[in-house]
Amino acid sequence: MKIGLPTFLRTTTFKLALLYSAMFAAFSAVLMVYLYYSTVYYIRAEAERRLDLEFEQLGNAYFTGGMERLSQSVLERMTRTGSTYFYYLEDSSGGKIAGHFQLMPVPLTEASSRTVYFDFNQPLPDGSFVVRSAAGKIVRLRDNGGALLVAFDAAQQTAIVRRIQRAIFIAAPIGIVLSLLGGVLISRGAARRADELARTAEAVMGGELGRRVPVRGSGDEFDRLGQRINAMLDQIEKLVDATRHTGNAIAHDLRSPLSRLRNRLEIALSQPLSQEDASATLNETVEEVDRVLTTFNAILRLARLEAGAEGERVRMDVSELAEELAELFDPACEEAGLAFRSQIARHLTILGDRDLIGQALSNLLDNAVKYTPAGGTISFTVTRGPDGTIDVVVVDSGPGVPADQRKRVVQRFQRMDSARTQPGSGLGLSLVDSVAEMHGGQLILQDAGGPEGQPGLKAVLRLPRA
Amino acid sequence: MLDTVVGDSMRVLVIEDDAEMASFIQKVLSEAGHDVDTAIDGERGLEMARSVDFDALVVDRMLPEKDGLTLLKEYREAGGTAPALFLSALGDVQNRVQGLKAGADDYLSKPFAPSELAARVEALGRRQMGEQQVTSLKAGDLEMNLLTRKVTRAGQKIDLQPREFRLLEYLMRHAGQVVTRTMLLEKVWDYNFDPQTNVIDVHISRLRAKIDKEFDEPLLHTVRGAGYRLQG
Repeated sequence: MKIGLPTFLRTTTFKLALLYSAMFAAFSAVLMVYLYYSTVYYIRAEAERRLDLEFEQLGNAYFTGGMERLSQSVLERMTRTGSTYFYYLEDSSGGKIAGHFQLMPVPLTEASSRTVYFDFNQPLPDGSFVVRSAAGKIVRLRDNGGALLVAFDAAQQTAIVRRIQRAIFIAAPIGIVLSLLGGVLISRGAARRADELARTAEAVMGGELGRRVPVRGSGDEFDRLGQRINAMLDQIEKLVDATRHTGNAIAHDLRSPLSRLRNRLEIALSQPLSQEDASATLNETVEEVDRVLTTFNAILRLARLEAGAEGERVRMDVSELAEELAELFDPACEEAGLAFRSQIARHLTILGDRDLIGQALSNLLDNAVKYTPAGGTISFTVTRGPDGTIDVVVVDSGPGVPADQRKRVVQRFQRMDSARTQPGSGLGLSLVDSVAEMHGGQLILQDAGGPEGQPGLKAVLRLPRA
Repeated sequence: MLDTVVGDSMRVLVIEDDAEMASFIQKVLSEAGHDVDTAIDGERGLEMARSVDFDALVVDRMLPEKDGLTLLKEYREAGGTAPALFLSALGDVQNRVQGLKAGADDYLSKPFAPSELAARVEALGRRQMGEQQVTSLKAGDLEMNLLTRKVTRAGQKIDLQPREFRLLEYLMRHAGQVVTRTMLLEKVWDYNFDPQTNVIDVHISRLRAKIDKEFDEPLLHTVRGAGYRLQG
């Protein structure tokens, strides 16, 4: 494990959140700067306008009456009640002629058409001072060398600008922090969902095949991903189960015939055999091997079927196939002393694999033939079932299957103990069940309602109609 | 193991990488009276198939160098016409369909009975002849008119069900030759599954009742452990 940032800080979502908050900050900055400068510009323009107005009047006094008239005018304005203006007039040598200030409060070099902002101490009647801020402008007097400062109390304007500045300096960091925080929250949510996926994957790798990604039902992309992954895990679990079952089945069903085979050969080896006995033994051996191979093939087929590796589904006519099979089995039933009745509704179609459906129907019929004693009856029916289904029904008058054993007989390699003596791999009904499941249908086993002791079996293969 | 096969001798190429399986096939086919050459990989197999005019090919699905499907495809693309039997341990439907699409004429999954292999190779050799456009078939004194769908034996009319007709037609096209139960299921019923119950035997015995019962010399024989043969 790398030591470093918490997981969520390394996630893609967090990086995206970071990018968004950076973009948000940049956008806000631009907005604030614009706001700030346009306000400041307006305030300055306003100050300028006020100062220019004053200069214009004082300028008129200077042009008409020279320095004398100007100083008079300044003095006169200084005493005007309600005036917010401050003045300072000096001669060419820098001596004060008139004004509110002791000295020129702003260096003369600042003198230009530019408005300057400055603070000064205003003496109060009680001898103390108060700091005032002012916006002023200095104008050099032409032909004289003197200078005139006009200023006004800019406390309000300065306060506005300060407030804006403060707002910006306080709001910007808060905004950035908030957007980062938002990013962290969002990405932590995403990271948690991703962690759930990772934890599920780890659990499954650790052998907990049943673990699934929690799905919240919000239908978001994580849910959809989770559902896909869960579906994948279902399939994998099924495959693993199939493999495991196949392994067990092979062990279970092949071990005994193989040991029998070995014993037989062992005995044959241990004693001198006549030509006749030798070929008899070999023939039996071949038969035994054939049985083993048949079982093995059946196991393999079933495993492939359950893994979904077999079968191609096309529209097929079940009625037609059933007719053919009825025709195929009818003579065999007659031969076995069984009455065979078939009633097949026409043109019922499904989406299915013809070979697999054929095998399933054959297995049902074969079972019936095998387990029904001579003199019995087998009926083979194809009808419309409930809810858009097709029912293929095989009813026999054999010993039937007790209710408590019906689940077992469709499980692989489970045959009723009483049937152990009959030939067969014990896979017949399991295959029918698998084929039914693969086609979205089901295999239902019921009592055929015959007399006590011989109730018969009713096997219904129910398939969705197409 | 087998009844004497009365087919013509054919020159067969077996392309199979498993030495034991190859020699087993060779033995089975030699006993059936064929000349057998073997190739142990796909490249060599294709080369031999192209350079010699074989009567039939037996091709394994899984081969080193070049797998059976590719080999067959290339052989057919190059204009090779020898009928081919595809062998495979993968007996499921898709593989069978793939094999037939690649240009195989028949498909047999391992493990197989020797009689099944012999019968199928035999049928391959007759294939070209058997599928010619003929209007009538003849086996001994048994005659079948494919146009009027009339069957007679020694001039005596025999009534057949449609399925029995097709069964007999197949047997007559392969007269003198062993046909197995699986072959009948595949070719006459078009089933690639095993109905298990001895359904074929019963149908054969019904057919036999119709064509042989009233005649001294039986035509339809059961070949023990293999299948049936209609005497030519």
